Amino acid sequence: MLKNHYIQRFLKGWKIFIQNPLGKMGVVILVVFMLMALASFFVPHINPMYDPMTGIDPDIKISTGPSLTHLLGTDNVGRDLFAQLLEGAKVAFIVGLSSAFFSIVIGTVIGMVSGYAGGMVDTILMRMADIIMVMPSLVILLILSSLFGQFNIWIIVFIIAIMRWPAVSRVIRSQTLSLKHRPFIEASRVAGASHLRIIFRHIMPNVLPLAFLYMTFRVTSAILVEAALSFLGFGDPSQVSWGMMLQWVWKSGHMFQAPYWLIPPGVSISLLTLSFYMLGRAMDEVLDPRLRKEGQS
Amino acid sequence: MSNLKKYPLIEMKGVTKEYSPRKRFFSKCQNKVLALNSIDFSIEKGEIFGLVGQSGSGKTTCGRLLVRLEEPTSGSICLNGEPINKLKGIGLKTYRSKVQMIFQDPYQSLNPHLSIAETILEPLVVNGLGNAATRREKVLHTLEIVGLSPADDFYDRYPHQLSGGQRQRVAIARAIVLDPDFIVADEPTSMLDATIAIQLFQLLTQIRKRFDMAFLFITHNLAAANYLCDRIAVIHEGHIVEVNTANNIIQHPEHPYTKRLIQVQPGFDFNG
Ligand SMILES: Nc1ncnc2c1ncn2[C@@H]1O[C@H](COP(=O)(O)OP(=O)(O)O)[C@@H](O)[C@H]1O
Ligand SMILES: [Mg+2]
Repeated sequence: MLKNHYIQRFLKGWKIFIQNPLGKMGVVILVVFMLMALASFFVPHINPMYDPMTGIDPDIKISTGPSLTHLLGTDNVGRDLFAQLLEGAKVAFIVGLSSAFFSIVIGTVIGMVSGYAGGMVDTILMRMADIIMVMPSLVILLILSSLFGQFNIWIIVFIIAIMRWPAVSRVIRSQTLSLKHRPFIEASRVAGASHLRIIFRHIMPNVLPLAFLYMTFRVTSAILVEAALSFLGFGDPSQVSWGMMLQWVWKSGHMFQAPYWLIPPGVSISLLTLSFYMLGRAMDEVLDPRLRKEGQS
Repeated sequence: MSNLKKYPLIEMKGVTKEYSPRKRFFSKCQNKVLALNSIDFSIEKGEIFGLVGQSGSGKTTCGRLLVRLEEPTSGSICLNGEPINKLKGIGLKTYRSKVQMIFQDPYQSLNPHLSIAETILEPLVVNGLGNAATRREKVLHTLEIVGLSPADDFYDRYPHQLSGGQRQRVAIARAIVLDPDFIVADEPTSMLDATIAIQLFQLLTQIRKRFDMAFLFITHNLAAANYLCDRIAVIHEGHIVEVNTANNIIQHPEHPYTKRLIQVQPGFDFNG
């Protein structure tokens, strides 16, 4: 009964969302990749040679094209490319969602505090955001990893999150500014509520939809940054990912000989990031009534 | 004890409020807005005191100063003779539990993401009063008092499921749930229909009778103030031009501005 309200809101939003062609297409692509990511857990159990990292087909010594045993073919040491592609989907979700989640959490908290506190706190936090915002995250990651050696995938996730909160915090801050003088906030102050309570109880539920919207865009950029980093040879070498597959196809000199190796990870990166982008656009429409078609409310 | 001076419940002494516009580069003109200019009045326990004036005359500013949403530029405000200007922390919290406010726009004063219960519970929760069960009882009881019955029915609803009049009743419930001594009601019916306005006035009168709470009733409508208030202060451009009992203000206005107000508001429409 109590949370009915949220469920109702969600269902209403979902209806508008799914009527939108972008939203529909985004969801379909996303579901396909999710199934791939799930499949990656089962494939190695069919046959140990389908392990994306360590599984080697004993009969194959060079990269071969698609066949019945290897749907997409193998790489130059005989590992199954389809298994790697599935593993890559899983890693893309982990990297994209977790670093987007961290950057949204950091950005939302800093944005709310900055907008609500104002004054010096606001100035300091926003100058910090400006400085980080103008730093190119890929270049920073490249410099850091050439200084400290190749990073573990979780450190990469964390660094992407640290680099990507400022844009979120700016949006959340301006939303907070427009909320903080609303009478329901002042009513809460008159009732004796503390600043922390006002921020987390009254402001947060009102900015959360916007934060989720930004999360979809952050996912896109995190996946792209990780892929670029891996392709350039600075990824986590113990972790298969789409960017890593591209790095291996390049490094082993098969770039122009093995399209069955090059094309699937490239297309996957584009499609998955595109689907998150489409989700974000469609969600924009749910959140901003001005963008809706007539007759929807 | 007889030599103990009897203080009014709440008192404004020479209160001035200036708003300074934001400093800008290259802008020499720094005209400050003098929202309130040396305001003096006092309100007794259980009294409904009207503050009447045109829009922009400083009424809302006056109410916001009383609940400490704003600080006076100079002058002091006292509750039972104790100045409140310097209150902080626990002291401020205690003050706020004694002085509450009802805001003008019921569509803006309730958080759309909180249920009616959560809204009315908040003052009890932040002041650490009672436990879950007693709070629930208190909220249900308060809903009945403000005429939202059956209370069970309203308890879990959300603001968007209520009419404007019902929302303002929720706001009134939130203001009275702590049993304050004094409530600022800032044009509580100006956004509502006349019939609903009259019902709310009756509710405020009942509450005053039942709990002996004092009100500062802010309105631009002399007729509404006359209906509800014991005494009325007329405010004009940040100045209080006249204070008197409601009857005297209407029947024997002294200040020319009051006379003009009466002339331009002949009708008894209740959009206070
Ligand atoms: N936050 C503020 N900053 C600058 N000027 C303000 C502010 N609030 C009110 N004022 C000015 O103070 C005057 C009185 O406003 P207000 O108290 O809201 O009047 P009323 O409630 O009687 O309509 C107006 O001239 C208004 O422009
Ligand atoms: Mg006003």
